[in-house]
Amino acid sequence: MSDLCFEDVTIGQDIPNVVKGPMSTAHIMRWSSAMENWHRIHYDWKFATGHDKLPDVMVNGSWKQHVLIQLLTDWAGERGWLLKIGFQFRGMNVPGDLLTAWGRVTAAEPRGAYGVVTLDIGLRNDKGVEGTPGTATVVLPRRGGPAVPYPFDPACLGPAA
Amino acid sequence: MPVNYITDEVKALIGARSGKVLAYHPVEASEVRRFFQAIMDPAPRYWDEAWAKSSRYGGLVAPPAFPPFAFRRAPTEPDPLDRMHTDPEFDGLPRGDRGLPPIPVPLPRLLNGGYEYEFYRYAMVGERIYRSSAYLDIYQRDGRSGPMVLIITEQKFTTDNDVPLITATTTTILR
Repeated sequence: MSDLCFEDVTIGQDIPNVVKGPMSTAHIMRWSSAMENWHRIHYDWKFATGHDKLPDVMVNGSWKQHVLIQLLTDWAGERGWLLKIGFQFRGMNVPGDLLTAWGRVTAAEPRGAYGVVTLDIGLRNDKGVEGTPGTATVVLPRRGGPAVPYPFDPACLGPAA
Repeated sequence: MPVNYITDEVKALIGARSGKVLAYHPVEASEVRRFFQAIMDPAPRYWDEAWAKSSRYGGLVAPPAFPPFAFRRAPTEPDPLDRMHTDPEFDGLPRGDRGLPPIPVPLPRLLNGGYEYEFYRYAMVGERIYRSSAYLDIYQRDGRSGPMVLIITEQKFTTDNDVPLITATTTTILR
């Protein structure tokens, strides 16, 4: 488990990828079933390609978001806190795709007793096509500083610089 | 000239708020297991009770973005799949299922445009989850593939005593 501190982070740094797949219709079905989502574009090929004019059944956007979240919670570890994440589903993913979640630090600033790190994030398929670009904000402890509070209240960061 | 789907009736829904809706049942260990197995994230905070008890969470928790998915159909609610028998166009996804009024836009295809989340705390196994929703914006874009209507919905998820869990802002695309 990560013991990451704010002082370990540099702007431009790539964080460790999280890789899932290759995705199959069974992976899609397992997620749809777990969340009780019966949207036919995820399991009904005839409906997906005929009615919705899609190239195949779709890997759920609702599933892909959790891969991006895991990318950041794995990196931040149990001492850090994923405060914000936002992303857009711009590209579709289909069975057969191997998906790589990636992140790169774009800003890092001390705030209050903690460090606040901003990252660009995304989810690429095995052809290198980015389909889910976004950004995230992670709060990290400073070396020798207090633990990041849990539950997390954004007010603990004080005003932005 | 493309059709204008943002009618006065649609505009009137911007700012509409739901009441506070309670998820049908509290967070269950088994649904958390199915959830983290489906997202393939085996972090011990979801399943290792001894580890979780001694952690900052104080017990087993659900994945960070679990609360939006915690709202299961109650036994007394109609089965949305009944429509499969009568409407071959039905895509399996009931509209307006966030406690908000449905948006009268007759576009047949729905896509998930993206999310923004702010996290405060993870839902614990056994806790109740509440949801309050609002339509922040509804607007139209006319692209090469035809008109699209984008629905921006904010959802605040809390547990008992209004303890905040997540705020989610979702973009739904009708096209």
